[in-house]
Amino acid sequence: MHLQTLLIVFVLSFACGQDRRIIPKLNPGCDNCGKSTTLLYIRADGSQDTVHQLWDFTRGMPTIIYVISKLNTSLTINWRFNEPMEFKLSEKPLYSFAVSIDKLTEYNDIENNGYIDNRCPQRALSLRDMEWTRGNTVLDNTEAMVHMRGKFGEENQHGVIDMKLDLLPFKDYAVDLPHLIHTANSTLVDVSLVNLTSSPDYNASRFALHFTIVSTDANNENMSYSMRKSLDDEHTPGVFEIFEIRTPKSSRSDDGGFIQFRPVSYTEQERSVSSSTNAYISNFTWTTIPKTSTLRMFYEEFEKANLLVQDMFISFGLPGDGFYRQHNYTSWSFTIGYGIPPVESFSLFVIIIISIGLGVPILLALSGITFVIVRRCKQRNPPTRFTDDE
Amino acid sequence: MEAPETSGSNRPTMLQPTSWCHPANRVHRFFALLLMCFLCFGSYFCYDTPGALADNFKDDSHLNTSQFALLYSIYSWPNVVLCFIGGYLVDRYFGVRLGTVIYMTIVFIGAVIFAFGVYINAFWLMILGRFVFGIGGESLQVVVNNYVVLWFKGKELNMVFGLQLSFSRFGSTVNFWVMEPVYRWVSTYYGGYERLGVTLFLASLTCFVSLICGVILGWMDYRAEKILGRQDEQSNSEPFHLTDIRHFKSVFWLLSVICVAYYLAIFPFIALGKLFFERKFDFLPQEANNVNSMVYLLSAALSPFFGILIDKTGRNMTWVIISIVTTIGAHFMLAFTFFNPYIGVISLGISYSLLASGLWPLVALIVPENQLGTAYGICQAVQNMGLATVIIFAGMIVDKYGYLMLEMFFLGCLFVSLIAAVLIYIIDSANNGVLNMSPSMRESTKSTVTRTDETAHLLDNEDFTDQEETDSRRPSDATQDHMSINPRDTAQAQSDRIRSRYLAQILPNSNNSERE
Repeated sequence: MHLQTLLIVFVLSFACGQDRRIIPKLNPGCDNCGKSTTLLYIRADGSQDTVHQLWDFTRGMPTIIYVISKLNTSLTINWRFNEPMEFKLSEKPLYSFAVSIDKLTEYNDIENNGYIDNRCPQRALSLRDMEWTRGNTVLDNTEAMVHMRGKFGEENQHGVIDMKLDLLPFKDYAVDLPHLIHTANSTLVDVSLVNLTSSPDYNASRFALHFTIVSTDANNENMSYSMRKSLDDEHTPGVFEIFEIRTPKSSRSDDGGFIQFRPVSYTEQERSVSSSTNAYISNFTWTTIPKTSTLRMFYEEFEKANLLVQDMFISFGLPGDGFYRQHNYTSWSFTIGYGIPPVESFSLFVIIIISIGLGVPILLALSGITFVIVRRCKQRNPPTRFTDDE
Repeated sequence: MEAPETSGSNRPTMLQPTSWCHPANRVHRFFALLLMCFLCFGSYFCYDTPGALADNFKDDSHLNTSQFALLYSIYSWPNVVLCFIGGYLVDRYFGVRLGTVIYMTIVFIGAVIFAFGVYINAFWLMILGRFVFGIGGESLQVVVNNYVVLWFKGKELNMVFGLQLSFSRFGSTVNFWVMEPVYRWVSTYYGGYERLGVTLFLASLTCFVSLICGVILGWMDYRAEKILGRQDEQSNSEPFHLTDIRHFKSVFWLLSVICVAYYLAIFPFIALGKLFFERKFDFLPQEANNVNSMVYLLSAALSPFFGILIDKTGRNMTWVIISIVTTIGAHFMLAFTFFNPYIGVISLGISYSLLASGLWPLVALIVPENQLGTAYGICQAVQNMGLATVIIFAGMIVDKYGYLMLEMFFLGCLFVSLIAAVLIYIIDSANNGVLNMSPSMRESTKSTVTRTDETAHLLDNEDFTDQEETDSRRPSDATQDHMSINPRDTAQAQSDRIRSRYLAQILPNSNNSERE
């Protein structure tokens, strides 16, 4: 298991080592887009293919679309006012998948389980009317990063959803807990639910994110998720599990889409072990793409039979933690990417300690044994002229 | 911390050995044992009252978590030094009987000050109370161990130390059972922090009972001394000065390195283990507690047997190295596999008890008799200091770098102790290997020493299996043999106790579960 991990890491560092050159563009082709319109298009050219990413906040629901195409394929966007209406690729894409947070679901966790299930009374709030404003933005060839802050369109729902999307085109651990691994092929996404108002009739209110996941696979297939346990919690103290959602193509041949996350979320802005709580994933169900969404615009052209659309919940909390109102804050991170999901490896420090730790005592023991044996041999066969007088 | 020894030359004839009033009688001795157990009961009981009433302390006295933790650490920290000084004072000035009464009185006063501090809700007074309580508590343990050695050496010594260890757990368990109902009863008459204070006054009564036990025991000991003609040997032996420490051999310092480094890989692990088992192995809290307690259970159960094993086979250094290697294996398994943690923890428990039995007698083989107390004191003190700092440090490692790194730290400590052990082995082999001899080899190296001392034990020589073991221990090295068994157990039992107290401080949750 251990060796296997090392081997995979070794192979991976070759496979993913090829960093991509990224070209991020904000609202490309939109002439009258202001501060309130955000559609980021990031083109990442590798040696064999191009990965196009769209980060869209124009229709309320945060959406990330991945398109994998041959090299030198271009994507153009046609706009109507400040909404993208048409996405044109110069060549047919090789593969595409997308994720959209389309709803925020409040559930009354009467049994105090932490996670959402069907028995919980729940209330879904569509994010269609969210108003997103753009904060810090970095767009250059070494990083594409954007901070978004979303306010609810509805009067009685206060609070904000903060999101941060970050693409760093090399393999490394993220700066913040839970220190997920980002690669040139994957984007790091943080979601924070800040000061949301709970419904007055729910006294055990928690919030869950509702995701719609789309991929260009046959629509009778299934997204899969798996839990992997690693020995190494160096980067996420106390959390040994990693969850991976894979599109059918990814499960088959490692060149589909994946979402990776640790089952941990944080109840304070300053992320630490003491402020961590659980994150849960629900089962997948088949669904349709939400109406009037960028997802629908994008996948209009695709055949229905070859478009897999499923949804699931991510919910947060622990039994007995005082529910959402205790901290009025929940943040959670995941990475979304293409290709083989990255696997964490033992750090150099661990390897050094083990090798020193094993090496030195063995050396000492060997030299000690030699020393003792040599000494005893000398005592047993002393030079004859000294023993004469005995 | 050493018990005064009898020379054995002037043992008088027994008066009525069959009467239970005679100190040599088994019934009489076990009555003394009962008193010894209850002598400690008060301090064990009062030690954990804050833990048992943790919620009430927070609600009634409005202590926050760090203030609450201070109640425990103010007890532990001074004892890094005080258990050593306390033992030295008993050896040189007080003597066992007076020492017991003095320390017990200090414990009682400490408990009362603490209760009074709670009663008037003055935090500084609570802290002062705990501090005074701590001064008495650990030193009391040292004197009681001396008592045990005095009365049971060459007889049921291992068993008695085991019993003392069990009793320490019993004391705090009873506390967790009893305090809550007592508190509820008191709160029908008082309110607010006053009810908490009154509850603690009631708890401090156990210390008063212990004090009475101490006085009775003192009288019994005085009588036994008269009847059996026991003499204080102290006056004859050359007084030992603290500055003589610098003459200790390098092997002794290597041994203290093992004392520190090895124990660092055991006790902080237990302190932080519960969450580790929950997180990594998906254990439920109760299961995690069960796994975690395996080390204590095993050491309580196995230590006497391993003691006998090592008594029979000698070769202490080999056993020590074997147990360090096993511990490394156990930690490796816990760190790098998902095997059932019971396997790792059980081998940890076994190797820990084996090491404890093999390591502590070694000090007696290295250090001259009149310096033994100080030598054990040094081992204890550095070990406590190591533990006190590292438990905090280990918590920081977990928060910052996770459990794998914590395991790496433990492995690092174990490697250090392995290196020290191998070095001792080499140095010892170069000097004809006294430390790693079998008992028969030890005998043959020093056949000139007469065995008269051997048979002259403190009390009479009822034939008892332990007797044989002690005799066969290091028959050649009679004077050292006397010393080797008692300080080992003394120190071990004492360190176990200190450690279980650290745990209570770190893991209030485990206490709660005990309460249920």
